[in-house]
Amino acid sequence: MTLKDMVDISAGNLWRMKLRTFLTVSGVLIAIAAFVAMLSFGAGNQKYITEEYNRLGLFNTMQVYTRQKTDDSSTAAPLNREAVERLARIPGVRLAYPFDAFSVKAAIGDTMFSSRAQVLPLTAAGTKLYADFAQGRGFESDSAREVILSREFALELAEKFGDSLLGQKFIITTTVPSLDSALAGLLTEERRAFWDRLKNVRFDSLVNADYRRSLLRREANELFRNFADGYFGHQAVLTDTLTVVGILDRHSMGRALAEPLLVSEKTARELNAGGFGTDPADIVAALQQGAFFYPDDYAAGKNYSRVTLDIDPYMTHDKVKDSVEAMGFRTFSFAEQFAEMKRFFLYFNLGLGIIGFIALLTASLGIANTMIMAIIERRREIGILKSLGADEREIKILFLAESGVIGLMGAVLGIIFGWAISRVVSLAVKIFMEKQGVEPFELFSLPLWLILTALFFGVMVSLLAGYYPASRAARVNPVEALRSE
Amino acid sequence: MIRLKSSALCRYYRRGNYEIRALDKVDLQIEKGEFLAVVGASGSGKSTLLNLLAGLDTPTSGQIEFDGARLDGLSRRELAAYRGHKVGMIFQTFNLLPYLTALRNVELALYFNQTPARLRREKARMILEKMGLSDRLEHRPADLSGGEQQRVAIARALVKTPEVLFADEPTGNLDKDNARAVAEILSELNRGGLTIVMVTHDSDLARNLAHRIIHMHYGQIVRDNPQASTGEGTP
Repeated sequence: MTLKDMVDISAGNLWRMKLRTFLTVSGVLIAIAAFVAMLSFGAGNQKYITEEYNRLGLFNTMQVYTRQKTDDSSTAAPLNREAVERLARIPGVRLAYPFDAFSVKAAIGDTMFSSRAQVLPLTAAGTKLYADFAQGRGFESDSAREVILSREFALELAEKFGDSLLGQKFIITTTVPSLDSALAGLLTEERRAFWDRLKNVRFDSLVNADYRRSLLRREANELFRNFADGYFGHQAVLTDTLTVVGILDRHSMGRALAEPLLVSEKTARELNAGGFGTDPADIVAALQQGAFFYPDDYAAGKNYSRVTLDIDPYMTHDKVKDSVEAMGFRTFSFAEQFAEMKRFFLYFNLGLGIIGFIALLTASLGIANTMIMAIIERRREIGILKSLGADEREIKILFLAESGVIGLMGAVLGIIFGWAISRVVSLAVKIFMEKQGVEPFELFSLPLWLILTALFFGVMVSLLAGYYPASRAARVNPVEALRSE
Repeated sequence: MIRLKSSALCRYYRRGNYEIRALDKVDLQIEKGEFLAVVGASGSGKSTLLNLLAGLDTPTSGQIEFDGARLDGLSRRELAAYRGHKVGMIFQTFNLLPYLTALRNVELALYFNQTPARLRREKARMILEKMGLSDRLEHRPADLSGGEQQRVAIARALVKTPEVLFADEPTGNLDKDNARAVAEILSELNRGGLTIVMVTHDSDLARNLAHRIIHMHYGQIVRDNPQASTGEGTP
């Protein structure tokens, strides 16, 4: 008896019991459809993230940060221009550029809004992170009076200004307090006020520690008040008009987030002449980094919050990481983050797979029930087959083939049905995303491995469910079976 | 030449505390080309004997030999091969599969004896035509008369060219005319050299067809009568 004979006979038997076969196959179909739909969701998300990482070149990107003072090392190395140059010299590092951002006020026509600008050195513009444009192009030079918009910001503006943002003029304004005036504020305090306070000092009480502390606090507060009066009271407003030349063709992702506006190095230098903005975050960062007073050279004394490294794809990340950490910095590797995400997706898919598998096990009870019923009903047929020369193995295979055919039909239809479900949900989600102003992306994916896994599980679980009934069928006594009605 | 031989053949069944001796120490020899009829009352052990000789059942003790080879020591798989190649069986209730056509029912017997798939259909068609059923090939059992069904069953038993045909009450469910037709077929097959072992209640049928009649009672052969068959094939 050939395999074809067995499948023919099994298919014929199943065809005779159409309704029962339909119901049993439906059980497998639903389970496999759920299995496929759920796992294709996991696969779709994984595929999307992998593609984004590849597209943005994040597998070759590493971020470098200063070590916190609370870390084991008490000597946190500053992330300044010199450090950037040293980082660029590490073997395997193709490019190192700092993340340098500041607060601005931007205006298009009579619409003004607060935003953040990021310096984009011309060298960094060649990396995958900034190489692709949805519209327009990159800077022509480091001194270009041009601005590039992030994708998110452009989408936000598009609601107001339409899609024709290229060529629009942006008036960028920064308010830069003058350190000179702040220092002058300290010195220009009215002498009388100082002498009045001096007169009130109880010199005989200076031996008292509490009195000394209270006096110092009062004078320190006066000093800071005068400094702040001078700092915030004499701010310079710096303005530049920049032309929109490009819109980045990507969504920012995690630590590769781009600021809404990208400006050239020269523009940044001019807009920051004399100091940093009045944004409390900038001030706190400058104080933390010990860079509150930096020289006139814009870049020389500046400390950065992070530096991005573009790494040779053939270089081991660990080697670069070790070199960077040996220099006293912290690192963040997107490749490592991706490995973590892969682990997450593994657990995620495993969880979804287990749910689908439980559904399949439930369906397998239906198969076992159908097969046991079939054996009870077809006892006489088993006896006839045995009288014709069928051995136990052939009887067992015949019944196993029936459960296998149920599994195969359920799996094939389940894959198609699961795929159809994913298409419907995907369409609904895309419409929802578009309505929410989010660029839609594909949530589902049906890779070959998933199709093969679903087929394998569908057939295997059905065969396992049919094994016990098939074994019972094989053991049927032919004499008794031929006597049965 | 001895085709089948049983020695001290026993088949006991246990029902609770009781042991039923369906067959008790039966010694029997069947010659090649012989037509043996086994008669006896219900429960005398005739069908049990037939099932054991046909390899459908295994003895509690004793020996069965087919062409000198022991059957009682064969594995279940080897017994299945014996049923598939050496013997054919027909039953009182025909035992055709109701959902298959006459042609497919006959073809089914060839599934289990390694007949190449391309030959099965042709062999089945030829044997059915020989049985005078060429216009009934695509009919299902429910659409055939009792006699036609038994002829399909005989065709199914013969299509694998067995060396022994076992017939269990082959005319028990048939009217007189159909019974006569079946008897004629059996007689002709025997004349062609086929060894036939037939179990029947019908003494006339046995007398008219068989070379030898054995009478069974309570699992034992009580009488063994060789006789000259009329050869007419009519009950």
